[in-house]
Amino acid sequence: MLLVVVAVVVVVGIVIALFGWDRYRGSRQAAVGGSAAQPTEEVFVDPDTGRRMRVWYDGDTGRREYRPEQPADAALGAEILAAGPATDQADREHKAHPVRGGHQPAAPFVGPVGPRVAPPTGGGGDTAIKVTGLTKHFGGTVAVEGLSFSVAAGRVVGFLGPNGAGKTTTMRALLGLVRPTAGGATIEGRHYAELEHPAQTVGALLDGDDLHPGRSGRNHLRVLARAAGVAPARIDELLELVELTGAADRRAGGYSMGMRQRLGLAAALLGDPRVLVLDEPANGLDPQGIRWLRDFLRSLAGEGRAILVSSHVLAEIAQTADDVVVINHGRSVLQAPLAELMAQRNGGMRVAGPDVARLAELLRADGAQVERAGDGAIVVADRTGEQIGRMIAANGIVVSELAARGESLEDVFFELTGSEGGPS
Amino acid sequence: MTRLLSSELLKLRTTRTFYALIGGAVALIVIIAVLAAALGKFNGTETPGRDLLAVAGLAPLFALVIGVIGVTTEFRHGTITPSLLVEPVRTRLMAAKLLAQLLAGLVLGLLCYGVCAGIAAGILSSRGIATGMSTSEWIGAVIGGAVATMLYAALGLGVGALLRNQVGAIVVLLAWVFVIENLLGIIPGGFGDGIKKYGLSGVGSSLARTASHGTRIGQLPAGLLLLAYALVLVIAGTMVVRQCDISS
Repeated sequence: MLLVVVAVVVVVGIVIALFGWDRYRGSRQAAVGGSAAQPTEEVFVDPDTGRRMRVWYDGDTGRREYRPEQPADAALGAEILAAGPATDQADREHKAHPVRGGHQPAAPFVGPVGPRVAPPTGGGGDTAIKVTGLTKHFGGTVAVEGLSFSVAAGRVVGFLGPNGAGKTTTMRALLGLVRPTAGGATIEGRHYAELEHPAQTVGALLDGDDLHPGRSGRNHLRVLARAAGVAPARIDELLELVELTGAADRRAGGYSMGMRQRLGLAAALLGDPRVLVLDEPANGLDPQGIRWLRDFLRSLAGEGRAILVSSHVLAEIAQTADDVVVINHGRSVLQAPLAELMAQRNGGMRVAGPDVARLAELLRADGAQVERAGDGAIVVADRTGEQIGRMIAANGIVVSELAARGESLEDVFFELTGSEGGPS
Repeated sequence: MTRLLSSELLKLRTTRTFYALIGGAVALIVIIAVLAAALGKFNGTETPGRDLLAVAGLAPLFALVIGVIGVTTEFRHGTITPSLLVEPVRTRLMAAKLLAQLLAGLVLGLLCYGVCAGIAAGILSSRGIATGMSTSEWIGAVIGGAVATMLYAALGLGVGALLRNQVGAIVVLLAWVFVIENLLGIIPGGFGDGIKKYGLSGVGSSLARTASHGTRIGQLPAGLLLLAYALVLVIAGTMVVRQCDISS
């Protein structure tokens, strides 16, 4: 009899301990948050891209989603052409969350970009990542089929494809989390599981949600740092770097999407790795988060790390990547240096201003192909922005506009992946 | 391995669920043991001490749940991904988890059986009732109970790794202990008796010396049997974890 009573008490206790606890925690958080129960929407202009964004915020779950108000193509075009920050009212949160190092105007997309000319498949002895004939089937579903590419040390490779193209599966196979059906992938010549110091060699961010909601951000890092043999001092350093010091001792369940993603980045950087594998790191980030990430990736790349970064939005990595690997339905569609891709799709440079007629003469004398646009501007087909800029400076010409004219990267992307830009 | 073990122990210590389960186990055992020792009549028994120590038999059940959570939480919240990125050799990760669970189970068992024995001995002697147990029997029972709790934690870990679904694994284990073994035990003849003696509950209580005379087996064979159960399940669970794709 006693045993039966005890049994019932135990079961009830366990159920409460396990499931009631989460509920209780959730309801308390909602109460503490004090946010409106109804989802709200507001529109503002992303100061970085000049894109009008619609913000959907659910006070209950703390979920925040940002969607461009304009169609993707138009928005991307605006992003490429608009170098300066938008003047419209910026997001209030933006000021509360300054981006380290400030923001530089967008670099020109067209024309040679420094020494970034080697093709992505030109790996020699310093190949950081090598994927060879990778194939993965989940049951009857083909996730990846015969995919090969490599990432040379010190280069940033954008891994692009629509949702469901096989990017995540490829990265998980590379990291030893998913067993390939055929083929394989190596990092610095070894399979992931054979790396002597994996955390010190590769840092990966696959899903920012991979954390225990009851554990604080700092403890999340402490757990991983202990297993990786990383000194505790590094944790404070990283928390500072990803701007989470203030929230580090709060339970991670209450973190916003952006905070989770940044915590994931900190975890990836624990061992100060030479290679970074980032799966959709901008996912769920708000506009200032995306800008922060872009600057952050640029600085990481500047330190000579090889980075494989996936995205289904080209614009997110267009300013960071040296090379792109585009896949669709698990197969490689295109592998090329980004600059080459852009040059191929170049629609010319558009120049406007009071002196363009003189500039046109000078350019023609230089052997360039110059056409007149309808509105008095000129279009130069075979000169880079920098070349034209030098000529303008050398001759003291006044111009009011100098911009790349062309098919947007997004158009190229849609063309390559055969998608229409709708949900895939 | 030291690094991994310390990481696993930190994982346990940085969630409230772990403390809630430990605290819940101790609190329940204290309440029930105090009430039973203070109010029980102990007329029909020669060993009131042993009967009261059976209350601490809750500890292995809590250890079972702690063991399940030790591995399923990683799958439930996706922390298995960062864990495996830091330690890609899955067998090693599972070995560290096993050590951490054995340690946690041992501590929980010593705490629960020790406290329960103290309450039983203290209250019975103040009431002038003989416990019917010598000091060495008390010590043997507490150590046996602690070992049982430790092995139950390992067993929970094994089943958790096999199923990787937290709710599923807990339901399966508790259903097995509370329902299935009891039902099988009703079957008349050798089979029912065998389940009572060699089933999970049977070996657990034999190990803690709280089993009744008819179903009791020696502490050593009970311990070895429970160890074998736990080993089989942990090995099977580790093999499943080694094979599975971590794809979400």
